Amino acid sequence: MGFLAPWFLAGIVMLGVPIFVHLLRKHVSTPRPVSSLMFFERGTQSSTKHRRLRYMFLFALRLLIVLLVVLAFANPFLRRRAAADQSLLLIVLDNSFSMRSGTHFADAKTQAIQLLASKPRSQRAQVIALGGQSQILTEPTQDINQLKTAIDNIHAGDGHASFADLTRSIRTLAESNPGPMELHLFSDAQRTAMPDNFSEAVLPSAVELTLHSVTKDSAAPNWTVEGLTAPTDLTDPNDPAVSRVKAILTGFATPKTEKTVSLIVNGNVVSNKKLKVASNGRMPVEFSPISVEYGFNRCEIRVDGDDALPADNAARFVIRRTDPQRVLFVHSATDQRSVTYFAAALNAASRGAYILQPINAEQATDIDPTKFAFTVLADATKLPSIFQHTLEQYVSRGGNVLITLGLNAERQVKIPLWNGSIQGVQSFAASGAASVGQVDFTFPVLEQQQPGRENGGWSGTRIWYAISVDPAGARVAASLYNGTPLVLERRVGEGHVLLFTSGFDGVTNDLPLQPVFVAFVDKAAKYLSGSGELSGAKIVDSFVQLRSSPATSDKAATVEVIDPEGTRPLSLNEARTAQTLRLARAGFYQIRFANGRDAMVGVNPDRRESDLTPITPEMRSLWTGSNTDQAFGPKDVTAEIKYQPLSLWWYFMLLALAVAVTEAFFSTRYLKTDREEI
Amino acid sequence: MQRFLDPAVLASISSLDLVAKTVVDGFVSGLHRSPDFGFSQEFAEYRPYVQGDDLRHVDWNLYARTERCYLKRYEGDTNSQLTILLDASNSMQYGSRRPTKADYARYIAASLFYLAIRNQRDAAGVIVFDDEVRDYVQPSTRQGQLSCLFATLDRAEPRSRTDFSKPLRHFQSLLHRRGIIIVISDFYEEPESIVRALESLRYKGNDVVLFHVLDPEEVQPKLRAPAILVDLESDQKIEVIPEYVNSTYREKIQDHIATIRSKAQSAGLEYELVRTDQPLDAVLREYLTLRRAGA
Repeated sequence: MGFLAPWFLAGIVMLGVPIFVHLLRKHVSTPRPVSSLMFFERGTQSSTKHRRLRYMFLFALRLLIVLLVVLAFANPFLRRRAAADQSLLLIVLDNSFSMRSGTHFADAKTQAIQLLASKPRSQRAQVIALGGQSQILTEPTQDINQLKTAIDNIHAGDGHASFADLTRSIRTLAESNPGPMELHLFSDAQRTAMPDNFSEAVLPSAVELTLHSVTKDSAAPNWTVEGLTAPTDLTDPNDPAVSRVKAILTGFATPKTEKTVSLIVNGNVVSNKKLKVASNGRMPVEFSPISVEYGFNRCEIRVDGDDALPADNAARFVIRRTDPQRVLFVHSATDQRSVTYFAAALNAASRGAYILQPINAEQATDIDPTKFAFTVLADATKLPSIFQHTLEQYVSRGGNVLITLGLNAERQVKIPLWNGSIQGVQSFAASGAASVGQVDFTFPVLEQQQPGRENGGWSGTRIWYAISVDPAGARVAASLYNGTPLVLERRVGEGHVLLFTSGFDGVTNDLPLQPVFVAFVDKAAKYLSGSGELSGAKIVDSFVQLRSSPATSDKAATVEVIDPEGTRPLSLNEARTAQTLRLARAGFYQIRFANGRDAMVGVNPDRRESDLTPITPEMRSLWTGSNTDQAFGPKDVTAEIKYQPLSLWWYFMLLALAVAVTEAFFSTRYLKTDREEI
Repeated sequence: MQRFLDPAVLASISSLDLVAKTVVDGFVSGLHRSPDFGFSQEFAEYRPYVQGDDLRHVDWNLYARTERCYLKRYEGDTNSQLTILLDASNSMQYGSRRPTKADYARYIAASLFYLAIRNQRDAAGVIVFDDEVRDYVQPSTRQGQLSCLFATLDRAEPRSRTDFSKPLRHFQSLLHRRGIIIVISDFYEEPESIVRALESLRYKGNDVVLFHVLDPEEVQPKLRAPAILVDLESDQKIEVIPEYVNSTYREKIQDHIATIRSKAQSAGLEYELVRTDQPLDAVLREYLTLRRAGA
């Protein structure tokens, strides 16, 4: 219930008129003459009480008249839910990592349950959890118990909320449910959850958004550790070039202070650093060298003290200390330059993490590739059949091979391990050289966060000679300007085959002379050796590939995953069939892949969750489509439900008229009595 | 008859002589229908002759038949003197309804004057007093006496306060002849002082009648809420509560009435409580009864 003209409620002061008439005015009533006071005695103690009691009914009627008239002018209305039966109520509960701050999640859940309790029984509702990804927990249903159970089962997670993801989910729902929808979002409304492009968060027209924010309009102080840089594999802890960990201590809405940052390895604090940080400041911190034991080491960089979100005060990562890994480099007899270039690049990138073992292709018959981190076939298109068979088995069981095609390839029909024939030779000597066209920088071997204008350094690479292969079934990661695939990847069994359609010999191209070659070799080595997945740090809701190809038989190897809480998140069936694993929780995951390799991954929440600054009121108004600024902070969620006003002033006025008639009747009686008394 | 004697009806008549005529004529016409009362020059009784009686009243015819001397007596064969002491203090102006006590007292007085002078040929006079004698008309039967009395009553507007002791001395000096003295007042004084002041009149052979005029609201007041009351004579104000007025006050006023009645009767004074909502016939009847008894 509300008032359309609430300023008329100021007329309530008119209630003082009957009070004055009945209480105050009676006190100064006209004295009544009597012949003599001879037989009267003074009595004043209970006079006021009796006056009030005597006219209480009339007094109440007059108060009621004034009150009803004032209320009628204030135009009261009854809020009736507008088209409640047709609209679908979407209750979205944010369980992202930032909701762990204070009582935000509990408050949001309480408000969601309150809203659910106020829902008309006939209205259908659906519960959605907004964590790392939007999870639709129920079908549209009228069953309040089912909906309440779904809300109760939502727990604060470690994911990053994205209103863009939510919008996409709602759009999908709107397509399947064409009716109107009321979207109630219970969230801390982080600014970082809003996409940079606001159009990605624009909801369909049939969806009416009500945002229930559980935070105030200012961000609480919070510290976090971000920008973590640490080696995944460490062969020489004493090498300061690689044995060091860098991080950035970042404060959000924090004052100028001094903080202590600690490096913790396997639960032991191995180093402390005191930092003076300016307000809202960022301060880099570096620990070097790192003393770690052989195997996987659980490491943390932790900042001391308490803040609004203590869970993000540590950044987890894993360092695996190993001996240098051997890399089998099989080259053709005519290609001796590739070894030089590749070895130089690999050594420069890994600083001794890999030991290259070159071997002529004709001598590789008895070589067991399983003893190597990965294998490189440099223009070795003709292999001994035994070695080729061994390689095929090696790859199918999870081995990884890098193949480069040099001048010898044009004389072959097929490429070993590559299920496809050579379609031709692309020679650009006559036209000068070919340049690299498209590069997929999301491909792990070519991955670059910000490639820049020079195509990530690939634009300067000149290609004079390349083999054209059939890309069917393979992923083309890079290609020449004319579309000829340059870098391809194909999954064979549990393994990967990475194909570079030119050579590393410096004759077919000048890539080995380009700076990008070192990065390419480094990432290729990590990708092929699997060290990138075996250790290091990832963020919540990232995926780990458990096996290269879907399991097709019951005899498929199982994977084993132990999550940070020590439980196995995969069922037996999933352990046999799952290809990927979503790292849903922050902490350390232990993984045994289908190819038998063990790994440990440190998982951290998305650091965007650490910035607790809510979206601005303007953005909020813009998003909800409301022109009125809605105050931040907890409030009555039932007040947010959209209602259709049913004006009641007419009924109030009728009631006031009826009371006025009653009052006139009784006051006449009273006045008559008064006259008799006088 | 009742209709003409109703005080509410009389209150609408402005002229006192008309009021008196209406009352008395109505009263008399009612008496004609009554077998128990009579007056005029009619035979009343025989009384044995005693020494000193006037021989003119001996019924010689009876003596001739019985050889005994009897005196023959007639009603109204002697003129009486009526003097009304009218209280014109401020307390008499109270009235919860019309007429007020003062008006009612004047109706009584006017009716009695009319009855006495016109019907009984009695001498009638009036003393108007409050805390002193304000006006005096000597009893007389002369022509124009009735008009003089009515004019005196018209002037007797209430003022000042009641005090019986002060004007008593004047009463003594003004009342030389025996007669009927009617005191019309609300008697808001101590009963002892009232009776003490008036009983001396009785000692002189007067028939003294006290007409205690009270408003019905004074006898049985109804108060629903606390109120501030103002004494009409002293202007004193007090606040009273309904519980007291509806219980204790009523007991006190009844005790006061009973005390006055008792003490008056003990002193040989006639007492009659008259409420202003009562017809006036009771008053006139009381007068005739006294007159007859006095004769």
